[in-house]
Amino acid sequence: MFRRVLIANRGEIAQRVIRACRELGIETVAVYSTADADALYLREADQTICIGPPPGKHSYLSIPSIIAAAEVADVEAIHPGYGFLSENDHFAEVCRSCKIHFIGPEPETIALLGDKVAARELAKRAGVPVVPGSDGPVEDEARALSVAAKIGYPIMIKAAAGGGGRGMRIARNEPSLVTGFHAARAEAQNAFGDGTVYLEKLVENPRHVEVQILADKYGTVLHLGERDCSIQRRHQKLIEESPSAALTPQLRQQICDAAVRVAREANYHNAGTVEFLLSRTGEFYFIEVNCRIQVEHPVTELVTGIDLVQQQLRIAAGEPLQLKQSDIEFRGHAIECRINAEDPEKDFQPSPGRIDLYVPPGGPGVRLDSHAYSGYRIPPNYDSMIGKLLVHRPDRSTAIRTMLRALDEFVIQGPKTTIPIHRQVLSHSDFRAGDHDTGFVERYLSQHPRIAQGKGG
Amino acid sequence: MDLKLIQKLVALMERGKLSELEIEDKDSGLKVRLKGESAFAATHAAPMVHVVHGGGAAAPVAGHAPAMNAGVPAAEVPKPVKQGTTINSPMVGTFYKSSSPDAEPFVRPGVRVVPDKTLCIIEAMKVMNEIKCEISGEILEVLVENGAPVEFGQPLFLVKTD
Repeated sequence: MFRRVLIANRGEIAQRVIRACRELGIETVAVYSTADADALYLREADQTICIGPPPGKHSYLSIPSIIAAAEVADVEAIHPGYGFLSENDHFAEVCRSCKIHFIGPEPETIALLGDKVAARELAKRAGVPVVPGSDGPVEDEARALSVAAKIGYPIMIKAAAGGGGRGMRIARNEPSLVTGFHAARAEAQNAFGDGTVYLEKLVENPRHVEVQILADKYGTVLHLGERDCSIQRRHQKLIEESPSAALTPQLRQQICDAAVRVAREANYHNAGTVEFLLSRTGEFYFIEVNCRIQVEHPVTELVTGIDLVQQQLRIAAGEPLQLKQSDIEFRGHAIECRINAEDPEKDFQPSPGRIDLYVPPGGPGVRLDSHAYSGYRIPPNYDSMIGKLLVHRPDRSTAIRTMLRALDEFVIQGPKTTIPIHRQVLSHSDFRAGDHDTGFVERYLSQHPRIAQGKGG
Repeated sequence: MDLKLIQKLVALMERGKLSELEIEDKDSGLKVRLKGESAFAATHAAPMVHVVHGGGAAAPVAGHAPAMNAGVPAAEVPKPVKQGTTINSPMVGTFYKSSSPDAEPFVRPGVRVVPDKTLCIIEAMKVMNEIKCEISGEILEVLVENGAPVEFGQPLFLVKTD
């Protein structure tokens, strides 16, 4: 096992990795920007190094600064967390050339799976269904029209290098396909420096279901069940849960087997997530692989009892997995609500600043992963997530009741948060019935423009 | 004043629940003020001192610092009492005062500096970065030992500006 690990991230995930390391007896080196100098989680690290000014590109995204810190601190490995450099194959390559273990898959795997067209080809080779589409880049308008005619409208135009909704367009007919095609290309060129786009059939009102994978360096690939992340706003997940209310045992087996096949085909090791779209009629389609620990990983930790971050460290250090697929048992129901410093009444605009009063919830079945506290200043430079509130109960309806109770207990005075919208979603009959999809939040918000801020709203 | 001494002082302050402590070092002429300020309640004041993490100059990161002194933010830098402007490190890395072990240091106290004059080298990712001066004045003090790890924003030189 490693003796000392550097954590190239901030906030709750830096804290999460520090906790895992401490339990494994690994020394931690936390790096931080001047915007995070006051953060309390830094005190839990054995060593801290300031790596730069607030802007991410000069601190948490600065490969030279992070590698210099790793060399100064003489660490054996770097945990990238999520976001920032976590899926940057160049960074993983630099770590390798500096003889520092990157806690994640190999750079080649990250590069392959980061290319959406290549990842889709890989899924097909693994015998995993993909959304019908152009099977590669679409260079011109005429080809776009002929491909669209073959797969049928509505069509989604996507950037090969894309993410976060940029370079994406929906086309419901030929004229909107033509305008959308050119707009998506221009947007992708501007945003990613690569104007390559491809076409896909749009699966309407799907569920987002993803499968957690653990794979070691010796060919063992396990799945840890699914997470349903259908409650999203503008492709940003808000609520995640496991198990998914939309899967039958048969379908669950099929989708988890498919995820394992994708991971095997990619020679994947470490923790990863294979994402799928699930249609209303029970067809599932591969979307992408996330080569990192995900924000919502604690959902899986709660239902399986397996510490995913500790497993990541063990795998990266070269230990074989001590688990077999049959050892993994799923117990109860877990739900996660992302607590973001955003104002749901003002189109979810970020609400940074000082937290005047912070009283975390507790009691049976509650887990809170958060780096916030009374007096903490949420810096305006990074993403707005300040915590993840989770519950684990024997069944879904009990879990929903516990979550509502925990949200009521949770006091955050100062910044606006997403707590009110979580209450609304969890109280909604469609969500309670498990009958919701990725369009739920946007539909709900268009019908309820004002989200009551008050208790019980 | 070395790291170990500062750590000891911090521990003493913790135990005695002292919120402020000022020490003068006759040899260096440095005055250091340790100020307890914490996000915890006032009764649980944890002193905030800026230290070069990872130990002294001879053996960078020999033994890792105890958990208590971790997470010490860079913002609270003990201000040298000598009047002057500090030149701060623009990057994290290893500080070298000369271009090679037997070469003369780029600057030493009493030397006049002007913009573009090389002050030191900071090694990051095996690259030797020459750090250039941006102001004119006289070097009063070199605040970092040769070979010591430095972090972003750490004061390197004290300068009396023109």
